[in-house]
Amino acid sequence: MKNTTTTFRLTAVAAALCAAYGSAFAEDDEIRQLTKPDSSISVGAGFWSNDRQQQGIYDGMRDDGLYGLVDADIVKRDDASGTWFTFTGERLGLESRKFSAEVQQQGNMGGFVNYSRTPREHPLVIRSGLRGIGQDTLTISGAGANALPFRDVELSTYRDLIHVGFNKNLLSGLDVKVSFKNEEKNGSRHWGLGSQAFFLAEPIESTTRQLDVTLEYTGERLQLAGGYAGSWYGNHNDLVLATVRGVTTNTTGAPNPTPLSLPLNNEAHQFFLNGGYSFTPSTRGTLKVSRSVATQDESIPSILLGGVNAPFVGSPRSLDGEIVTSLVELGLSSRPTSKLSLSGSLRYYDVDDKTPLVGLVGSNTTRVATVHNTPHSYTTNTGKFEAAYLLPQRFKVIGGIDVKQQDRSAPKFVSERFVPFNEQIDETTYRLQLRRSMSDTVNGSIAFLHSTRDGSSRESPHDPEIFDTINPLHIADRTRNKWRLSLDWAPVEAFSLQFNVEDSHDDYASEDGRPFGLKDGRATLVSVDARYALTDEWQVTGWASHDVTRAKQLAGRWPQGSDEFADIDMVKDADLRDTGDSVGLGLRGALSDKLKIGVDVQWTRTESSYDEDTSPSTATFPTSAGVTAARLPDIENTLTRLSMFARYAVRKNADVQLDLIHERWKTDDWSWSFANGSAFTYGTTTDRTSVSVKPKQTANFIGMRYIYKFQ
Amino acid sequence: MKKMRRLLAVLACLGSFCAGAAYAADEPKEAPKDIVLTGDAKCTTCHDENDSPEALAIGKTRHGTVADKRTPGCTKCHGDSERHVKEAGRGGGEAPPVDVGFNTKNPASAEARNAACLNCHQGSTRIFWQNSTHSRRDVTCASCHKIHDGHDKVREAKTQPEVCATCHKEQRAQFARPSHHPVPEGAMSCSSCHNVHGDNPSQLAKPSVNETCYSCHMEKRGPFVHNHQPVAEDCAICHNPHGTNVANLLKSRPPYLCQECHSHDSHPSQLAGLPTGATTSTSLLGTVGRGCLNCHTNIHGGNSTVNSATAGRFRR
Repeated sequence: MKNTTTTFRLTAVAAALCAAYGSAFAEDDEIRQLTKPDSSISVGAGFWSNDRQQQGIYDGMRDDGLYGLVDADIVKRDDASGTWFTFTGERLGLESRKFSAEVQQQGNMGGFVNYSRTPREHPLVIRSGLRGIGQDTLTISGAGANALPFRDVELSTYRDLIHVGFNKNLLSGLDVKVSFKNEEKNGSRHWGLGSQAFFLAEPIESTTRQLDVTLEYTGERLQLAGGYAGSWYGNHNDLVLATVRGVTTNTTGAPNPTPLSLPLNNEAHQFFLNGGYSFTPSTRGTLKVSRSVATQDESIPSILLGGVNAPFVGSPRSLDGEIVTSLVELGLSSRPTSKLSLSGSLRYYDVDDKTPLVGLVGSNTTRVATVHNTPHSYTTNTGKFEAAYLLPQRFKVIGGIDVKQQDRSAPKFVSERFVPFNEQIDETTYRLQLRRSMSDTVNGSIAFLHSTRDGSSRESPHDPEIFDTINPLHIADRTRNKWRLSLDWAPVEAFSLQFNVEDSHDDYASEDGRPFGLKDGRATLVSVDARYALTDEWQVTGWASHDVTRAKQLAGRWPQGSDEFADIDMVKDADLRDTGDSVGLGLRGALSDKLKIGVDVQWTRTESSYDEDTSPSTATFPTSAGVTAARLPDIENTLTRLSMFARYAVRKNADVQLDLIHERWKTDDWSWSFANGSAFTYGTTTDRTSVSVKPKQTANFIGMRYIYKFQ
Repeated sequence: MKKMRRLLAVLACLGSFCAGAAYAADEPKEAPKDIVLTGDAKCTTCHDENDSPEALAIGKTRHGTVADKRTPGCTKCHGDSERHVKEAGRGGGEAPPVDVGFNTKNPASAEARNAACLNCHQGSTRIFWQNSTHSRRDVTCASCHKIHDGHDKVREAKTQPEVCATCHKEQRAQFARPSHHPVPEGAMSCSSCHNVHGDNPSQLAKPSVNETCYSCHMEKRGPFVHNHQPVAEDCAICHNPHGTNVANLLKSRPPYLCQECHSHDSHPSQLAGLPTGATTSTSLLGTVGRGCLNCHTNIHGGNSTVNSATAGRFRR
């Protein structure tokens, strides 16, 4: 009894204290939760039931098995000094991990270190006898007794990037920023022998470094940013020697081993200045100037080879390549009245390849270097002007014109031109748009673009009867018409709908005497997005899109040794089409205060078709040793992905989350198949590497993680 | 012990009385205190943790670091909004809007909304904002950024594409293609290549397509002993960086891709088709596998000095 009385009295005291001061403490805690940075650490594990050759290319979970799921987002701020301490880690248990650590006294100085690894797992199934993968000396399986044992080859590349940075406020508005990136690339990628279609793996061990030092001034009217950007590429290998095992011939056409060049070390140094000045609150001018010099002056490794691979007479030991890129841009934007906005810019962009023209290769018989390097320079001058006028009801009409004029180089020697070249291209683009924005219910726009591109007369290639009959797509005369309609409708706060349709049509002119190349290109996209909030807790989203890209292309076929147009034995008229359909659905909701759930469905189907007519229609594919070819079937890829999560608050500051994914990838891609669907095999007697695609890939995932939240 | 209890009880009652009295008394009011930002009391007197908890979340952001004297108060971005302050809560009608609001109902123009940000953030990579396509199409800073959110979606790689896809539907469709940059996987983001505040062509981070691509693909920069001119000029002639149906982001499949520029006799002019069996004939290997690139393996440029027929045509 005594105990009871005592307890009662103490409770009364406590209640009275709480009544007086408790609400203030609770309020402080609530304010703190609302205003202080949040942190969380998530630890768990997940299991994939099967390999995911296609969907696992980049996400670090290609193979079946158990994976660690570790993420961290730790953000602390010392309020007194305004110093942030952050650590962010994503996918720390996976190959695709990345993390970042930063200390930043806001307004004064700070620094950061980032690390990321980007894997790329090759999606194909390869079985090969190739030896030396990852090295610069490769041996291809020979014929008969020289065949090497076959094994599964899993090609992959990894990029390991370390990025460090530092910034310091020097004076009011004046900051210096330093950024340095070092990226190591490792692994091998799918390659080929070159002189014959044999399987090789290119070693890509290399280091890329980038240094940026920027001084920035930000004033009320004037802003400047200038500095230096340097970048260096260093390849750890410069030449691959590939040997076909058991082949002893050492001819000029097919030496064994075959030397294959790799990218050589290069570097670039740029100085730049960007500036903007606000003459008035509504009128602003900008300036952009930069100049960079990129060089490649490594010793050419193949110059050291002997025998049939010996250098040609007079060829230099180094290319001494140098490309100078210059940019000057002036911009002006103004709002002379509250309803009228004007903007314009003039831009000069010059890529000057100053690499000396030298003879490097030539006839194997005379050993005289008659084939030169092919430096390529071009200058692009662009002028843009746009006016926008505000109409009633928040409508705005926008009109603009872009003028582009480009001067281009062509290889000096006709014998080294394999396609027609254009030394000048002119393009004029007109734009007109009516839009309504900033309205609370209906926004949208309808836009139309029309452009014409043409240029000077062509610089003909050698063998012009055949080589000069095409209009290369990037210099061909072209008329482009493009329109786009977008509509955003939000009749109530809980519901919004977006509708978008766009169509682009390129009409390529067929000049006299040049009937071949792209004739017509078209791209169409229709998409719908919707969001509906059923309640404060439940929301559904959905989107669907349909797109078609089409190219009509005309080409000719001539037998080997032809040099007359009249020798043509086939005209090929192709109608290439890529179609994409995607649907996404999402649901987010709360079953109780503690339990939140989400479901996402993604379905994507792409189809590529290769309709092609030939004239004469009886024309057949070539034949070689009894092997012919067959017309191309369509390719269809389908991805279905259903993912769900349930997140339960086990404590105020801790959740557990269950993730479930069902993923199905289906393809009939024939890229690595013979006409009968069997796996493609390199070579007939040598190599014999087989490559194929796994047509159905289904995998399920279950993951569980514990999420701890704190401030 | 008893004395102690009595003392506590007296203190409790006193405290309770005083607290009540403080709320009830008609004494001159203490000036409202700021909750998060310097000078925010003008707003948080009404928009407190009960009325607008999401507004107070500005405290989680860099704007909420009051030790940095450059950070704004509410009115620095939203304007003094005197009419809103005077008339809010009086009468049954809706309060007049703040001078500069960032929701769909606020009448402030896109320029006025952006000016609220650019007053401080015009420098660095945003110098050219006014000439950017985004600016000229009435995209505001708040169209993409959530200023009051400690985790602004558009500033985080894994969630950024979702924000960009609000308008860029074509790119969203392309990222769903079998061959794509690892943006959906979160290894890259749209801003890895684009400076959406700038005025470069296609709002790229660098002045040209190639300079942007070289940031990660520096081995393609050359110059090479044997340049392939379209490669040296514009990667996007052959590649669509957002995604395609063909491996390595190719816009079209060899031999069609190559035959967009090359008219030729012999095997380069071959009809696309799949061989019926193993072969070494170059006239039958232009489509299957890597197509033309089965042999023209250094298509981005070569550095070989070995043989004219192979080196100059990117086979060595």
